[in-house]
Parts: sequence; C-alpha cells; structure tokens
Amino acid sequence: MIKRVEVNYRGIFQKTLGKYIGGDIVQIASRMGKVAFSNGRYSDSPERNGIPCKYFAFVSPDLSEEELEAECGAKLDIDEADVSVVVDDTMVKGVEPWGWHGVRAINEKLREKGCLLVTSQHSHDQLLTFIPKQPFSWRLATVEGPASLAGLWVYKDDLTRERVLGALAAVDPGIISIEAVESYLLEKTKDKHRAEAARASYDATLRNMRVVKAGEGAEWHHEIPRLPTWKEFESGGVVVPAVPRGFTMGPRGQSRNERFLRGTTKSHRPVVRFDLCIKCTLCWYDCPDECFDPTDDGLYDVNYEVCVGCHKCAEVCPVPECIVMVDELKFDNNDSPWEHHKRDPQGYIKWAEEKKGLERIHYPHVTGTGMEIREGKFVPPKPDKGGPAAGAKA
Amino acid sequence: MATQLPVIDYEKIKKVHDAPLEEFYTSGHRTCQGCESAMVMRDFAKAAGPRTVVTGATGCMYVANTSYLTTPWIVPWMHTQLGAGGSSAVGMAAGLRALMRKGRIPKEKINVINFSGDLGAGDMGIGGISGALQTDYDLLVIMYDNESAANTDIQATGSTTYGAQTTFTPPGSKHRIMQRRWKKNVAAMLAVGHPTCRYVATASATFPALDFMNKTRKALSIGGPTFIHTFDPCPKGWDFHPRYAHELGELGVKSGIFPLYEIIDGQVVYTYDARQKGRIPVREYLEKQGRFAHLIDEDVDYIQSMVDTMWNEWDIPGVAPFKAGLSVAG
Repeated sequence: MIKRVEVNYRGIFQKTLGKYIGGDIVQIASRMGKVAFSNGRYSDSPERNGIPCKYFAFVSPDLSEEELEAECGAKLDIDEADVSVVVDDTMVKGVEPWGWHGVRAINEKLREKGCLLVTSQHSHDQLLTFIPKQPFSWRLATVEGPASLAGLWVYKDDLTRERVLGALAAVDPGIISIEAVESYLLEKTKDKHRAEAARASYDATLRNMRVVKAGEGAEWHHEIPRLPTWKEFESGGVVVPAVPRGFTMGPRGQSRNERFLRGTTKSHRPVVRFDLCIKCTLCWYDCPDECFDPTDDGLYDVNYEVCVGCHKCAEVCPVPECIVMVDELKFDNNDSPWEHHKRDPQGYIKWAEEKKGLERIHYPHVTGTGMEIREGKFVPPKPDKGGPAAGAKA
Repeated sequence: MATQLPVIDYEKIKKVHDAPLEEFYTSGHRTCQGCESAMVMRDFAKAAGPRTVVTGATGCMYVANTSYLTTPWIVPWMHTQLGAGGSSAVGMAAGLRALMRKGRIPKEKINVINFSGDLGAGDMGIGGISGALQTDYDLLVIMYDNESAANTDIQATGSTTYGAQTTFTPPGSKHRIMQRRWKKNVAAMLAVGHPTCRYVATASATFPALDFMNKTRKALSIGGPTFIHTFDPCPKGWDFHPRYAHELGELGVKSGIFPLYEIIDGQVVYTYDARQKGRIPVREYLEKQGRFAHLIDEDVDYIQSMVDTMWNEWDIPGVAPFKAGLSVAG
C-alpha cells in the first residue's frame, strides 16, 4: 500500500516550504518504521515566481525502498493523491502549471475520501464556491492563516511548515501520526513551540474538517487544450506556430497565446478605478505580461485571464487608490472591468470599492520579510473632470 | 559594404502616448511575475515592428517563451544554442540576403534580431557575437542581462554583481563573499574591439521610459551589426518582490552601478549622465535585494568605491577603465 501526498505551492515563493514539508513527511514516516520517498514534479523546473508547482511525498508501511521507488520515482505526475496540501488558497481556483496545459482543478488528483488541506483565511463554503465538484465524496480541511511567501534564498519561518504537518496527521493518521510529528520536531529543533504549533493545528483541523458530498462544489468550465502530436508538426521545421497577428482597440483586442494564459499564477489582481485614471499609460507601459488593452477613451482595460498579479501596475500608478491589488478569491470571473465601467460607471465604483475594502496589502522589497496590512481610503469620484462617472451623476 | 535595401523609417518615440500599441510579443509566456527581461522582449518587438525575425539563444527567455508547444511570439522566432547567438543572427541575415538576391522573396528590409542572456552573450557566446559584429550584415544582438543563469535557478555568470548570492556563490560562515568577480563590461568591450560596428548601447527596459525602444530603433536604422546590453532586474534571482521590478532598474541606473550610454560611430553619449545628475548611494540599490542580505558595511563600501572609481577616475567614465590618459613608454 502506498499513501501519496502532494503539496501544491507557488513556484519560487514557496519552493523551500514545499520541499521542507515533503522532506519532513519522509523523515517522520521513517521514524515510524515506514518506508518513504519524496520528490518534486519534474516538469515544474525551472520554476518561475508564482506559477503553481507540486512536491510529492510517498509513504508505505509494507513495500521495500526499491519497490516504492520503482512505483513513485519516475513519474511526471501522480494518478491519485490521498492528501492534497495547498499552501496558497488562491490556487483553489485552478492551476495551470508549466508543463501541463490548461487550467486544472486543484482536486483533480484527489481520490475518494481523500482530503484537500488548504492554508486559508476563508471559510470552507467560500472555498467550495471555487473547488469543482467530484462524483464521489471527499474531505476539506483548512489550516488557518495567510499564504507563507518567501524568496529563492530565504525560508520564511512562520510555523506554516509545522502547522501543515500537524494538520496532515489529523486528516490522515495513516501517513504520519501527531505523536511522531511532535517527537520529530522536538528532537530536531529543540523548540517546544514548534511541537505545540503542530499539536494546536492538529486539534483545530480535527474540529474543522468537513466532508464534501458527491456533486457538492463548483461547476468546472476549463477545457484542456489539445496540442499537436509529433505527426502533426508542420513541414519546414515549424514546430510551434506563432500567435496570429491581430490588434484592435478595446477589450480583448490584442491577439494572445490562447494555449497558455497563465492567469492562475496570481494571488492578487489589480482593481482599477477608471474614474481616477489620469491616462498616463504607465500600467500598460510597464506590464511585463501585456495584459492591459488600450481603449478608445484613453483608458486601459485589464485582461484578468492573462494577468499574473505581479503588482507592478499598482506600484507604478501615480494616482493613490487608482490601482489596488485585491485578493484573487474575491472574484468569480475574468470579465472586462472597463466594459463594466462603461455600462454602469457608478455601479462600477461601488463594486470596485466593495472588492477593495479598506485593507491594502503591502510587501516590503526583500521577499520573505513579511507583509503588512495598511489602511486604504475611499477616494470619491472626481466630479470636475466631466468624466463618465461625473456624467452619470448629473 | 552594407546591404542596399530600403530602410524602415523609424521615428523617435517622444511620448509614451506615441508608443506603438500593437504587440508582437504577446501575453501567455512562462516568465516570472514582474519579469523585466520579458519587458525587453516586448519592447524590442514592439519597436522593431512586424517585419522582423528573431533568434534566441538558450536561456530564460527561450525556455519561458516556447516550451511545451506554445509561444507568445507573433513574429517568426527561432531557437539556437547557448553560445550561438551571434552566429545564428549572421546565418539568418545571410539567408535572407541570398533569398532576396535570387529573387525568391521581395527585396525589403527585414530586421534580424538575436537575443541572448548574460551567460549566452557575455560569457559563452561572446566569440560568435564578436564575429557577427565584424560582418556587413544588418543585425542587432541584444544581451538581456539579469546577472545570472536565471533559467537554471540562478548560477553566477561574468555579469553577476560582486558579492551577490547565487547557487554557485552561497555565502558561508567562513567566506561571506563568494562572488568575487567584478561585473563584466560587455557593451564597452564590444565597442572598443569592433571599430566598424556603428552602434553599441546599454539600456534598462523601462527606465528612462521609451529609452530602450528608441535605442532599438536607432540600432535598426543605423544598420550593420549592432549591439545593445540591457539591465533587467530579476525578481526570482535578485530576491525582491515582483512589485518593485521597475524601481530596482531605476535605482541601478541612478546609483551609477549600471551606466547607460550609447556609442554611435565612436562617440559616447550618456543617456543618464551620473556625473551631472548625481548618484544615489549604491546601498539604496543593494539593500532592496535579498541576494545582498549577507553583505556587511565593509562590502557595501567596497562596491561604492568601485562605482566611484568608475565615474570619477576612468578616462571615459562608466565605459572604459583607462586612467590618467596615455603614458609615454620608457
């Protein structure tokens, strides 16, 4: 028998975290007398900031090392997982990793009665509005807290690792037991508070675990694009057809690489108050992902399907509160915000402000040195410029 | 003998509002959040326009832009080996010239642009690029410099800043500084060594605004083999939040650690003249990156002194490290 755990993490930002959790599972299972093995998904390397990646851990009570490695060592992806750990909850909207085309469901590999363990500050019900339904019942548990993001060279020691291990023991004691987690952490780190964090997370997870019934969850709309096989390559050495040329003003006016949109890379999306925009073009000019579409009225629509949430537009925008990064889980579609603004300027401002709330996320320069929540403010629509918002008011 | 072909009449882009709107390197690439090298790709493709063919040497921008049977390129694109940037551009330009001479394709100006990373262009492919710059073909080689072999998870190259942490140069308890080489000055090296090359420049993708696009256009209109070295802050390897990618480029230029200049027919023109505009302390640039987190004051002072020397003592500040003019032999 083999128990399989996958850790879904944000490329680079959580690379070390994912690797540590996988490694810890192996160490703990070995101390329990089991045979264990862990590796990263081959196709994820070289990782890029934010792109969803996976790390695996396999545990078996009865197989030999050779047998386990033969079974788990050389696969691109696993077929089913007993536990899928998700260390950034915005990945529940679907993941589009490097080597796998199309947006995939986060619980795609989860087997019947398996558990999806998500680090999140949202409720189970909120998460289930995004996680697709399955034909069988499965379990959902959360480890409460924000996503732990760090950099390539740093590991952010905020106890996420210990708490995930404790929660894992709660959702499937057949993989690792909480006693083994505690003794491992105590012995390895000599820090009592690490073992306590794992235990507290274990208790909390036992309380909050929820069974998701067959058919419960979101509808899934994403199709997996079909790629040409080697027999279909064009003659003359053309292996990858270029994107057809095409540009018109307005939303979705620029032709794009439809086979890899990669919008699932983002944890936050820019919300634009078009009425405050001074049309300086900097968001469009500085966007490394070409996700702003110029419109006839001098504004820039955002294509959220291709936006990767790098925060750059919000940083270079000279107008306070005009572009603000907002938690991706507050949105359930990728509709054009500019069209919404044209249709109903006042309604759009209300909608944008509701989404923004008053909390503004702020990251310092060096990755992994924490983040803070600052207070934002509501800027009333500008009446003097005769913009669309002012027109609607009059 | 430069090719006798109609020249595309590029106008200087004066305001960001006049920048071309259409993209020829479009959304859907596998680059990092906040990737400045992707900005370089986007901007040169936009500046060069549709009649362009591009070749890319192995590196971040090759792997991120063609893997697994998809590409964000709208203009035709070809991959070449890590050290073959210059030769591939020569081959492409020669092929186009031959096809035009034989009448297989209409005679028109088709831009040939190669991009290679700092490892591909500055270290491994420098011989090929040097050869390309001695030819009479119209081609542009762009070295996008993110100061590491970023595709394979950040190994040090000849262009990595002194003191930086990379996979090859991890700081340890015995040796704090493992990257002990000073950054290679590739653009100036190529300019000095290739007197017939009419245009060599350094640029930063987004600072000053439009500068890189205009330099690309200038290189393409001057014609012959040309070279541009760009400075691309890399959120992954430099370890800063992608949000600040633009700011890091700006700080690098303003601190004087990466001089911006053009060498047009042997004349040096500073794009950002740090002697007149002043320099900010390099500390402000270094402290915002995780790769320098292990540096102590002494190291920062050393880097500052090197940058000071570069601007105050070099005969051609920021470009050529000769001091005190010519000395008479004997």
